[in-house]
Amino acid sequence: MSVDLDQTPRSLLVCDRSSFLNEKNRISSQVEQLHFNYKVSLLLPECSSAPSHLDAVFNSFNSFYLIRNMPIYELLDKHFLKTAVYQGSVYGVSYRTRIDEDNCVALMPNGHLSLSLDKDSFELLGVEGKPSRFNHRTTCRYVVCVDLTDSSMAPGGRGYQRLLTGLRSRLQLKTDFLLSHHPGGGASLQDLLSRYDWSEHRPDVSSHTLTDLSCPALQSCDLQSCDPHSLLEWIGAVDAHISCENSSSSFLSSLVCPEPKTTVSRALSVSVCGLLLPQDVHRLIQQIRYYLEQPRLESWVSLTVHGFVDSPVSWRGNEHGVLRGGENFYSLLIFHDQTYQLHLATGAHDTCPP
Amino acid sequence: MSVFMDLNLSFTADKKLLQSVVETAAHLGFSTVAINYVFEPTAKKKQDIPSPTPINELIDQLPVVQGRSRPIRVLNRLTIVMSDSSHFRPNAAEYRCFDLLAVQPTTDKLFHAACMTYDVDIICISVTEKLPFFFKRAPVNGAVDRGVVFEVSYSAAIRDSTMRRYTIANAVSLMDTCKGKNVILSSAAEKPLELRGPYDITNLGLLFGLSDGDAKEAVSSTCRSVVLHAETRRTASGIISTMRSCSESSCQQEAPPAAADSEAPAAKRAKHQLPDD
Repeated sequence: MSVDLDQTPRSLLVCDRSSFLNEKNRISSQVEQLHFNYKVSLLLPECSSAPSHLDAVFNSFNSFYLIRNMPIYELLDKHFLKTAVYQGSVYGVSYRTRIDEDNCVALMPNGHLSLSLDKDSFELLGVEGKPSRFNHRTTCRYVVCVDLTDSSMAPGGRGYQRLLTGLRSRLQLKTDFLLSHHPGGGASLQDLLSRYDWSEHRPDVSSHTLTDLSCPALQSCDLQSCDPHSLLEWIGAVDAHISCENSSSSFLSSLVCPEPKTTVSRALSVSVCGLLLPQDVHRLIQQIRYYLEQPRLESWVSLTVHGFVDSPVSWRGNEHGVLRGGENFYSLLIFHDQTYQLHLATGAHDTCPP
Repeated sequence: MSVFMDLNLSFTADKKLLQSVVETAAHLGFSTVAINYVFEPTAKKKQDIPSPTPINELIDQLPVVQGRSRPIRVLNRLTIVMSDSSHFRPNAAEYRCFDLLAVQPTTDKLFHAACMTYDVDIICISVTEKLPFFFKRAPVNGAVDRGVVFEVSYSAAIRDSTMRRYTIANAVSLMDTCKGKNVILSSAAEKPLELRGPYDITNLGLLFGLSDGDAKEAVSSTCRSVVLHAETRRTASGIISTMRSCSESSCQQEAPPAAADSEAPAAKRAKHQLPDD
């Protein structure tokens, strides 16, 4: 009659190691494929203030727009499709909707619209969809995924009409929506924005200087020098300002810095929050590479990019869910000799990262 | 998964306390709660079944659930603590004003009868004392087939350490028999401090022997199927229901008919026996 408490929910961790100079590295596609990024956190050891070129990159991140109570059929509007979806890429995800409770919507840059609906909404909508991969005993969540660039979904087509009628009259789905466009920015979205209550937001940048931080001694050539799980725990602890001292008098945290470790006298932790585009993350990575080319005291920089917990999709448009935690993030360790270690991690209800 | 629900908040006459409990539940992320009126008939004197106070009298402004944009939904529930088979009168008129009907049997025969024949939604498992009877597969499977769920409350475990042992022991023995199906976890909270968040209750379910997915369902999908089961219990095959029109001066506020619940044109509703289909 005893209960097995050793089992923890499944989590997936993919570790990759390569060099930026190697033309076969997949880093650009791995960064591109996580469409909806919520937070980017950077850890620069032996640095007290952000260098000007990194500051410039943070300030040049694209702004994003929040539309309150937007009916989802607006994403099928002919004018919106012509000016925004067919030209460039639109990134849109519903806001303040929980993936395991409510209906969530995501519009991916390749024109795929993904609706994650609960059973009642799916049956009301009446459009073809599949049961979610993460249903347990009963099917209570369904996913409807349509390709808006496909010929069958062209305005006036049968599939388009059916979805439009469904969203307009049968299931009047309205959520708050975060929207961003690359490369057009707000101009291509103006028509849609002007009809509803919208606000423009800049990504929120905050930085924090840490003193006397114990860091693991990371060598670029050896992936096994530091166990990935303990390294990721340490990076997360630093980002969340959790002490890794593990002193006997404190019961709050027993996290420790992985061995072998050194102490750096100061370090800078920067985090940016908002709807961040993969293109901006790319530019940031290039600027970090440039930063590391100069001779530095410490030879590495860590960059962690978190995806939205409540987004219906994670990498490559694969379905994402929340069991007890919906983390989907990757952590990139860049070294001065242009090599990198990449750790991609997801929680239980997710598919394997690329 | 569906929204998180806590289907057992104890009723108190103190309006402020009840309001703060509902506000805490909304803050923690529960989208639906049920206020539980416990009725324990004794042989000595005849008691009347309490009639529920309408929600708008109890709580002025329903708080918005944290992280979503809709206000919390509050239901009424009646729990009858049975020590004799005459305590539960099937099809009594007083039951119609409650959204959910629950029964807490105290003997083996009553448990068997409740699982197989009684027209209830929830069977409560006592957590404050050692189980007076053992669970047998036959009545438990019969209840699962009918769509009746078993409820384990956890706030007694928060209050007292002896109760904690009883709660865990009784819950583990229930899970052994029912294999984690048709179980809901709820607080029987009297104060706001006795409430816990839905993900914490999911973790508590692991202690009771539920698997990860089962424990999460115990707070969400199974609760949804109980609420649907209760709605269809008051209708004929889940399609038609009647409502008394207010003609005399003394008319109670009847619960709205289930068929008119959704604004959408007529949609198929779940069947009576298999509400989670």
